[in-house]
Amino acid sequence: MQLSDASVSIRPRSPWEALDLGTLLARRHAKLLMTTWAAVTLPLFGLISLLLWQHPSLALLLFWWLKPLYERLPLHILSKALFGETPDFRESLRAFPGLLRPQLLASLTWRRLSTTRSFDLPVQQLEGLDGKARKQRLLTLSLRSGRAPSWLTVVGVHLEGALWLGLLGVLYFLLPAQLVQRWNWEDLLGLSAEWLWLEHLSNLLYALVLIVWEPIYVACGFSLYLNRRTHLEAWDIELAFRRLRQSLLSAAPAVLLACGLLFWPAAHDAWAAAPTADTAQQGPESERLLNQPLTSETARERIDALLDQPPFQHRETVTRWRFGAQDSPQEPGALARLLERLLQGGSLWESLESLAQALEVLLWTALALLVALLLWRYRDWLQTFGSGIQLPARRRQPAPAQLFGLDVAPESLPNDVASEAERLWQHDPRAALALLYRGLLSRLLHDFQLPLKAAHTEGEVLARVRQLQREPLSRFAEQLTQHWQHQAYGHRNAEDVVRDELCAGWRALFAEESKS
Amino acid sequence: METPEGIDLLLRPAGLVPRALAFAIDLAIRAAILLALFIILGMLGNFGIGLGTLLLFLVQWWYMVLFEVLNQGRTPGKYWLGLRVVHDDGTPVGWTSSLTRNLLRFVDMLPFGYFLGALSCLGHPAFKRLGDLAAGTLVVYRERPQARPALPEVEAAKPPFALSLDEQRALIAFSERHASLSAERRLELASILAEPLAVTGENAEAKIHGIARSLVGAP
Repeated sequence: MQLSDASVSIRPRSPWEALDLGTLLARRHAKLLMTTWAAVTLPLFGLISLLLWQHPSLALLLFWWLKPLYERLPLHILSKALFGETPDFRESLRAFPGLLRPQLLASLTWRRLSTTRSFDLPVQQLEGLDGKARKQRLLTLSLRSGRAPSWLTVVGVHLEGALWLGLLGVLYFLLPAQLVQRWNWEDLLGLSAEWLWLEHLSNLLYALVLIVWEPIYVACGFSLYLNRRTHLEAWDIELAFRRLRQSLLSAAPAVLLACGLLFWPAAHDAWAAAPTADTAQQGPESERLLNQPLTSETARERIDALLDQPPFQHRETVTRWRFGAQDSPQEPGALARLLERLLQGGSLWESLESLAQALEVLLWTALALLVALLLWRYRDWLQTFGSGIQLPARRRQPAPAQLFGLDVAPESLPNDVASEAERLWQHDPRAALALLYRGLLSRLLHDFQLPLKAAHTEGEVLARVRQLQREPLSRFAEQLTQHWQHQAYGHRNAEDVVRDELCAGWRALFAEESKS
Repeated sequence: METPEGIDLLLRPAGLVPRALAFAIDLAIRAAILLALFIILGMLGNFGIGLGTLLLFLVQWWYMVLFEVLNQGRTPGKYWLGLRVVHDDGTPVGWTSSLTRNLLRFVDMLPFGYFLGALSCLGHPAFKRLGDLAAGTLVVYRERPQARPALPEVEAAKPPFALSLDEQRALIAFSERHASLSAERRLELASILAEPLAVTGENAEAKIHGIARSLVGAP
């Protein structure tokens, strides 16, 4: 074993850091460790499962029980790799049968349930100790090493469980929902023969979890062992001393010898004289340079003054309003009175209930305030991006001034449309009908707020009017529209009966407004 | 990690095992708190249930965050194990990162019992779980103040040759740790340097102690 060949930096660490070193060690050789582990365990797992096909739990127990055997392989690889002789896959597997023999029985029986298994394994396998010597060695090593190996095993057990259940969970998530719905849980739990494969599958998942975790577990135990030996045997110091010796001896032995011969006594004298010199020598605090204008004392004063000024010191005075002191005695009094009233006014129970309600109110208020605060905080954002939603609803299009080439602005209409129409009917029925229709459109636009556009046809206007669901209005509009269309497009003059009817209808509909 | 002032800060990221133990301790503390709360508040009827729910929320979601931000990155469990949470650059953890890393606990827990978190922690060179990756935080070992180890009482001696910093450290470490080494091992180590020091193997140890004392200076 050559310490200088070690592939990790050797220094004394805390036990926890040693565990982390193990994790890193395992990761560095992750590929080799995991493939060899899989190559050893998976065939064995398959064999056990086949042999014990009817008893999946027993198969798992047996596989688990044999764990110390497989752990010897990663340790072998790691111990080789630490000193730079990393074996390849084939070599590792070839070495495995030879590793199995020593202390096989002990590992599988009374030492199987030891919590410090990972830490003990290097002593047994790498140092080859057995029986009493092993016990003594372990006692020396585990002295003051803390409980890290046991904690490692405890965490390992839980981690194995968590990873196993996690894999099962992943598998469950991946199942199609229909399949899951058809599951009969009683069947699953009742160990019926059809579900044996499922149990073996979950066992396989455990074997897969071990591929990930076991190399790390072994590496952590190994690094704990290394760390303990580094502590006990000062490997790091040995390394440094050897390096120092090498550099000193190889660089210039002659010079060194000369130095030793020439300077050694002198150096010794100097050291012997040192204590007296120390007391006599003036320290930086004592007064010096007394025979010149700038003595050490004034210099120090000036330096202190400089250091007290702004670039080095930053001082500020803060003046602030505070509540007067007279409030403080009142407050506890008020609280005490409140408590007293609460306790006297009803039973404690009721007061608690009311307190709960108050709390609830407070919480809701807090929520409302929070929402308000958020709205206020993001008001700009809302204005910028939120107004797009409300835009079409809020902004009305300006009512068109003309429809069908007719002027529909309210200002262009006479006050009494009906009388004006009657008067016009005498000599120009077309103008009279036009006036009535204009009047109707204008009313629809401005009184009923119908969103009419210049592109609408008469039929569409009628449809809109019907949507208002006002029977007299839509009947009148239909009538008027019909006569207006006859007049406008067919040039057929309406009869006087129609005039009276329409004017009466107009008056009936819009009488109040025309009066007012 | 090197600061702009050129000072090297050594951050030692903590691995899965101490972190898992710290988490277990925190979990136990939280469980104890909640159990006590529910027993006490259960006697208070509706009010108690309401208050209990509030406190449950507080304990469940803010326990880690509050401790980490207000207690220099140390929850009680981490304190026990000598860990603390810092940013990647070694600065104290803040509200944002602490909230991020603790809210993402739920991603780490998927699909069961920290499955993703454990794998990420085992696979990352700085042992980060997913929450740490997202928040840019690191769990490191805290520097604990150490008592100055006693050096053996020997007369100080000047080193006969120039020593680099590492070599000085090794000499001092030998002297400081002499109590934990067996006598044979001390002799073995010291005799490595016997020849360069121009002393015999038996005297080398005392000589190294003397050099270490002169390097350390007066106590």
